[in-house]
Amino acid sequence: MLRAVSTPERRGFRARDLTAPWRHVDVILMVAVGLVLLLGLAMVYSATRRFPDGSGFVLRQGMFAVVGIAIMMGLSLVDYRRIADWWQAIYAGSVVLLLGVLTPLGATVNGTKGWYRFGFISLQPAEFAKLATILAVAAYLGSVDRVDLRRLGVARALLGVPMGITLLQPDLGSALVFIVIAMGMLVVAGVRLRHLAVLVLLGVVAVLGILNSGTLDQYQKDRLTSFVSPTGQSYNVDQAQKAIGSGGLTGYGFTQGPQTRGGYVPEQQTDFIFTVAGEELGFVGAGSLVLLLGVIVWRMWRAAQLASDELGTLLCVGILCMFLFHIFENVGMTLGIMPVTGIPLPFVSYGGSSLLVSFTAVGLVQSVHMHRFN
Amino acid sequence: MDTDSTQVRLSALGIVALSLFLALFVRLWFLQGIDRQRFEVESASNRLRVINEEGPRGRILDRNGKVLVDNRTSIVVALDREPIRKLTEERRQAEFADLADTLTSLGVPTKLGTIQKRYDDKRYAPQEYVPIAEDVPENVELFLAERAERFPGVVVERRTIRSYPYGQLAPQIVGYVGEINEEELVARGGTPPAVPGTTSSTVPPTTVTTVPGLPAKPYQPGDSIGKVGVERSHEEYLRAVPGKRTIEVNARGDLIDVIKNTDPVAGDDVWLSIDIDLQAHAERLLEAKVRSVRGGLTKEGYRKNAPQGSVVIIEPTTGQVLAMASYPGYDPSILVNGISSDLWTQLNDPASGRPLFNWALQGAYAPGSTFKPVTALAGWRTGAIGPGNEVVADGGVFKLQGCKGKACEFQNAGRTAHGSVDLARSLTVSSDVYYYRLGEMFWINRTNWGETPIQDAARDLGLGSRTGIALPGETAGRIPTPANRKEAYQKNPDAFVTGDWFTGDNVITAIGQGDVLVTPLQLAELYATLANDGVRYRPQVVSKVTRVIDPTLPPGEPGNFEVIKQVEPDEVGRVDLPPDFYSRMVKGLIGVTQQGDGTATKSWRASPTAWPIAGKTGTSQVVGKADSALFAGWGPAQPDAVPQYAISVVIPEAGFGGDVAAPLAFRVLAPASKGQLPAACPAASRALCDREVAAAEAASSRDVGSGGPG
Repeated sequence: MLRAVSTPERRGFRARDLTAPWRHVDVILMVAVGLVLLLGLAMVYSATRRFPDGSGFVLRQGMFAVVGIAIMMGLSLVDYRRIADWWQAIYAGSVVLLLGVLTPLGATVNGTKGWYRFGFISLQPAEFAKLATILAVAAYLGSVDRVDLRRLGVARALLGVPMGITLLQPDLGSALVFIVIAMGMLVVAGVRLRHLAVLVLLGVVAVLGILNSGTLDQYQKDRLTSFVSPTGQSYNVDQAQKAIGSGGLTGYGFTQGPQTRGGYVPEQQTDFIFTVAGEELGFVGAGSLVLLLGVIVWRMWRAAQLASDELGTLLCVGILCMFLFHIFENVGMTLGIMPVTGIPLPFVSYGGSSLLVSFTAVGLVQSVHMHRFN
Repeated sequence: MDTDSTQVRLSALGIVALSLFLALFVRLWFLQGIDRQRFEVESASNRLRVINEEGPRGRILDRNGKVLVDNRTSIVVALDREPIRKLTEERRQAEFADLADTLTSLGVPTKLGTIQKRYDDKRYAPQEYVPIAEDVPENVELFLAERAERFPGVVVERRTIRSYPYGQLAPQIVGYVGEINEEELVARGGTPPAVPGTTSSTVPPTTVTTVPGLPAKPYQPGDSIGKVGVERSHEEYLRAVPGKRTIEVNARGDLIDVIKNTDPVAGDDVWLSIDIDLQAHAERLLEAKVRSVRGGLTKEGYRKNAPQGSVVIIEPTTGQVLAMASYPGYDPSILVNGISSDLWTQLNDPASGRPLFNWALQGAYAPGSTFKPVTALAGWRTGAIGPGNEVVADGGVFKLQGCKGKACEFQNAGRTAHGSVDLARSLTVSSDVYYYRLGEMFWINRTNWGETPIQDAARDLGLGSRTGIALPGETAGRIPTPANRKEAYQKNPDAFVTGDWFTGDNVITAIGQGDVLVTPLQLAELYATLANDGVRYRPQVVSKVTRVIDPTLPPGEPGNFEVIKQVEPDEVGRVDLPPDFYSRMVKGLIGVTQQGDGTATKSWRASPTAWPIAGKTGTSQVVGKADSALFAGWGPAQPDAVPQYAISVVIPEAGFGGDVAAPLAFRVLAPASKGQLPAACPAASRALCDREVAAAEAASSRDVGSGGPG
């Protein structure tokens, strides 16, 4: 695949240049992403097999994966600094898209007005907005030496605007992702602990305010409080834990999970996809999946560490935080240690937007990794 | 920006990430490694349903192995709603209409509304078949089977239901079977069906076994259960061990897979102590007698309504009930597909004589003179009468000592003076004066003999308490005492004139009147005990329970069964009957049928048994109604002969015991005593039976009564 790339050809005589980007592809990251993707497709197949349009889900997911891989490869070859140059336009565009979803153009799923619908494809602009915001904050903070209060304020505004809009949808899960991304990026960017403490305090106040304002629907509050008071466990979590727990060490075998076969876990192909792995592949399979996701996060962390500039580091940290939160929240929710929110598991959950954004994100990390000697 | 600081902060982020992943692993291990079993169980209870499949109930046979209650196949048209749910609304309506028309044209009238209602019936589990027409002819099955595509979701099932080869015979003894109700289910440890509309349709089968050594026979809603009679009292034997089908269902309750299937095992056969030839004979004659009595008027002008009647025959040496006829009866086959409320009302209507009642043990009547042997025993025990002081001058009227006026006078029936009467003769001619006097003596000497010599003798002979026969619904009757009268009065002062006991009460109790009430079964048991020299056995209606050894052979195959339970005679008491007393009593009771002036001699001579019968007629008065006619006795009553039959005949509102009850008793026993009992008539040869009924009726009209009460 690297032969198709034009840069080495053009540089002909410098073909042995050790700083050439294509020599620095993070193969481990690629392999981990590939394996998780394959596992994800298998789990989606198993979870949707019982539907009348059974194979349709895997086919659509595969189609998005092909597009996603293309985007990832393309992005990784472009220097992330060139992309960052466009951050204002990208950020503005994503905010507009995010706002647009609140207009009659948007479609409502499970009480959240967060989708654009094009025929059989639905897109969730919040997923793209997360990435656009990470890029914007990284570009903004990467261009300054010191994060003073004013700049902190600008960075917070950059994060706060899309977060506020997602809360209006209301999409609590995505809003939480913005908070985590903000924390991670600001910490690494070198914000003073004092300022951070204020930020945390503000966060807590904001969460309490959200809970007590009319923004949240009752079902969303219920989901959150079911986490706080374990006695009131909801049906979803109950069924999810039955599926995972009964899987045991080695599971019931692919497509053989009774909970999955019988459709006992709601939203299983999307938010609760991890239960399929837990039930059918057991601790061995589900553990491997978590391990592979861990490898992806580890390679992102490594890319952040190796990055040649602040922009690259922050970009990787932002993406890392997004992935980390998605994984911990999604898997944790099926295991009953996190509240139930509609956050997808990267590369595994059925859904085009999530898949495209995950590939785009890995593409950016790869770009940081590959272009670190430029 | 400080590179070192960035590295430190990145490390911190790395540690956070690492610990979060570690947390996920630990939690995953907790669920899958440690709590795995618990979740496996929970997951299984989620998706596995155990469906019990009822098997054929055991049969009910008579003492000689003739089958009274069998099973037969009923063809049932039912709906499998699973495929029907997938049809469009119009398609479904069209199918239902087509089905209703088709069934109606095939001779099974079916309404569209009925099908629709059954389809929507929430009481049935989603995967359960819903019956819409039961017991349909075979051509319907054929027709529907050939057109399966035209009727998706319509299934034709074969179900096992009860059949009665002898038709309307001993219906109150065998009882009937019906769908288990909530109360019965709960009593057997089951859970009532879920409220329609709730999602939880899991009904854990019950695990109650009432008899040790019998396999568990759990129930679930919709199962059948014995409602009355032997079907109920021997439910735990008759019920088949249900088959078990373990199925896996999805979240919507649809079937995914059959996991395990165990076939049901047929129930055990119950052999009655009843001889159905004798039973049929008794029922036939009882019905004929009641019909011939009805409509007449007594001398006092009361209409003889004879609303019911019963004949009980017990084998004195074992307590086994050989026949127990209760009129009116009913045809149990009308109940096999469930009881409509109209039918239920009709069967329980007092105007129709309440056919569901087993009057032989649910009816309680004043025994009248049939009670006299009890009073005689009390007299002998206290010494009020005995060798040397047993003769009384009977002038037809008895006056209480120290009492003046009409209320102090008690008289024999028709004021007949019997002259000089000893114990034997007091029974033969049924002298009331003889017993009035005893009643008065007992009360006068109550400080020496206690207040209740009569009641004590009655209690020893089994009166006033349930016999404990293995049939539900038995009543205890009543033996009045000063104590229980006072108690009743104190409980409900408005219902009684007084709570006190007077001499007069003792006087009428002595002749089995007043508040004395016995069931026909108790009366037969009383005379069986007298026949048996005072050894009292509990009446038994079942002789044994057997289990078929090889189910592939026909169930009637001789020797193809093992005995699960043999019912042995159950001695419940021994009453000391002194020889001097016993010989006098027996002599008097034989005189009733054999001596010239016995109260039943003429009747006996009209249809004599092969051997003499010792017995007693009874005519008890009920205020405002015609007299109740009674007879109780046993035979053979000869010195060295083992008594074979003790009998009681009770027909209320029918006239004199000697006129109505005694002739019936002799006519029932005569062919039995001569070994000429006609065989019971199977329902299949009804024409023959009708001739026999006609013959019995004709014979009844030729009965010779003794013409007097007593």
